[in-house]
Amino acid sequence: MKCLTIAWKDFMIRFKDRRGFMLMILMPLILTFILGSALGGVMGEDATVFPKTNLGIVWKDDDPLARQFIRDVLQSRDLKPYIHIKMADSREALEEHIREGSIDAAIVFPNGWSRDLNNGKLKGLTILADPGKSLQSDILQTLSQTFMDRAETTAVSTKTVLSVAVDSGPEQMAGLSQEVADELKQAAQQQWHAVEEKSVGQKPVSGMQYYAAAMAAMFLLFNMMNGAKSFIHERETQTLARLFSTPTGKTSILIGKFLGTLYFAVAQFLIFMLATRFLFGVNWGDNALQTLSVGAAFAVAVSGLSMFIASVIHTEKTADVVGGIGVQILALLGGSMVPLTLFPDMLRQIAHIAPNTWALTSLVDIMGGTAWSALALPIGVLAGIGAAAVTIGTWRLQAR
Amino acid sequence: MLQVIELKKSFGGKPVVKGVSFSVDKGEAFGLLGPNGAGKSTTISMICGLLKIDGGDVRVNGLSIKKDPMAVKRKIGIVPQDIALYPTMTAKENLVFWGKMYGLKGREAKAKADRVLADVGLSDRANDKIETFSGGMKRRINIGAALMHDPELLIMDEPTVGIDPQSRNHILETVKRLNEQGMTVIYTSHYMEEVEFLCERIAIIDHGEVIALGTKTELCNRLAGGTVIQLKVDPIKERFIQRLKTMEAVANVKIVEEDRIEVFVTRADAALSQIVALSLEHRVQLLSLNVKEPNLEALFLQLTGRSLRD
Repeated sequence: MKCLTIAWKDFMIRFKDRRGFMLMILMPLILTFILGSALGGVMGEDATVFPKTNLGIVWKDDDPLARQFIRDVLQSRDLKPYIHIKMADSREALEEHIREGSIDAAIVFPNGWSRDLNNGKLKGLTILADPGKSLQSDILQTLSQTFMDRAETTAVSTKTVLSVAVDSGPEQMAGLSQEVADELKQAAQQQWHAVEEKSVGQKPVSGMQYYAAAMAAMFLLFNMMNGAKSFIHERETQTLARLFSTPTGKTSILIGKFLGTLYFAVAQFLIFMLATRFLFGVNWGDNALQTLSVGAAFAVAVSGLSMFIASVIHTEKTADVVGGIGVQILALLGGSMVPLTLFPDMLRQIAHIAPNTWALTSLVDIMGGTAWSALALPIGVLAGIGAAAVTIGTWRLQAR
Repeated sequence: MLQVIELKKSFGGKPVVKGVSFSVDKGEAFGLLGPNGAGKSTTISMICGLLKIDGGDVRVNGLSIKKDPMAVKRKIGIVPQDIALYPTMTAKENLVFWGKMYGLKGREAKAKADRVLADVGLSDRANDKIETFSGGMKRRINIGAALMHDPELLIMDEPTVGIDPQSRNHILETVKRLNEQGMTVIYTSHYMEEVEFLCERIAIIDHGEVIALGTKTELCNRLAGGTVIQLKVDPIKERFIQRLKTMEAVANVKIVEEDRIEVFVTRADAALSQIVALSLEHRVQLLSLNVKEPNLEALFLQLTGRSLRD
């Protein structure tokens, strides 16, 4: 397998190149550290799923529904680490606490909140928040509305079913009542389980994690340029002609060049992943196989593109210029500099033309926890880009 | 061993090689002479299978490069004009790599690399990177890479360009030794003395055509007025020059400087005594006299009107 010999030669040349090593391995580590540390507050746990919140509550009459909301929602297993509850006597006291900054937001339960439940319409909660903490306010609004909708639906359903049951005969009422109550209770619990399941994939991703993925996606892009340059350099120094004068097929030589870039890209990703894990404690997610699959698919994409670029560019100087600008544009468009979530919708859609967008979003998804089914498309797209680019590139180079 | 049959190649409609034909016997050292742009490298590239042949064929031991390129390539070792090596790899790594490209396996390639390093006199630099080598050392490894698979036919395309005399001598001695051991060699150069030193037969190429082919003696015999008698005289008299030109053994007379004349003669022995007699007769003092035997440079000049290094 001469293509493997060529690939290994290319890999070793790049691996031993000190300047290349600095650019491809050390630089992304340094940038990850700088960006991850500097922008951690913006990107991190504090801003991702639920910001840590000091929540004030006014709850005067020990209302059972309010108790259930506090116990099952605000202090549930998932939210308890983020919400610290502080009781207060009055709305005025809460407003004072907010002004002082000792709490971020507050909920005022109406007196006899659960009394209106039988009518199927609960009174709305009053939510107070520091104007600068609108995110907390929005989340509390959503949580309370969801809880109220569920409670109202359960109450109305029970009432309706029971009235039907009464019409069907008093002797069956007690049993039916119990059965419906049990089923609704189960349904209510299932709904909460569904919410819990949905929270998988929504683990907070810290700034350090995001920028580790972003830098991996960005610096793997440099393999497009380096792979193409390696090919052009061999052409200029006549080693490529010498290779073609050996009893080695053209396809084997071209595949060898592709594999050389692929080897390095995969190694670069692995080294970077391990280095960020052990140096900065970056958690790349619970499923290493998913991370490696995305990394490998992205490596295939950049290696394939390197062959395509080699087939359309003729000099190393052009490759340097085009590659340098191209990588920067792709890095910017793909969210390696500025998080994709901050992009306008249209730009976010356009960003999908960049392979690093697919890689970065997938890596971040894996960090937050995601299913294989969600990764099928990005892995397919990346592998497809790689396969198409290497096919076209090899075909064009063979024709020369 | 090698037959080059009516080889043709055009680039952009412009013919560069126009039906080149020659053959090389097994164990022979064959020289390909020509100025830059004559079509030597294009011819070599077609022989090696690097360039698609537009017309004609190349056969190595009866195998056609067009029909069985891989089998032909296995028999050939090519030393390109450029240093086609990987500068950041060591000498040994380079040799092992090129050996593997010719099908050698790991240990076999390493052992062969050691032998080749000894052959080119660089065993002590085996583990140094090529980028640390002098031009001459690089050229030697460049040759070594072509020897890794013990080729039957070694093709060398101007292998001594831009190197010091010591490395040049080493290379020439190495090639001579390989040829004496039975390796067939095709050597292209525009250094006449290298070709004369190494090769038994020579083809002179110009404008994509073989304009002369034969042994050195055969070629020089074709040279009209091949011997040059250089005279330093005092004074140069017009009538003396005219009489020189009418002599039977003289082909041409050229005034080189104000007191120097070059007389191109077909037979030096006959011409010498007549020139001396003529100088006495015209009272022209002969200050010095030097006889230059015919050479390929003169032949090339006569055939093309240009110097080889033009």
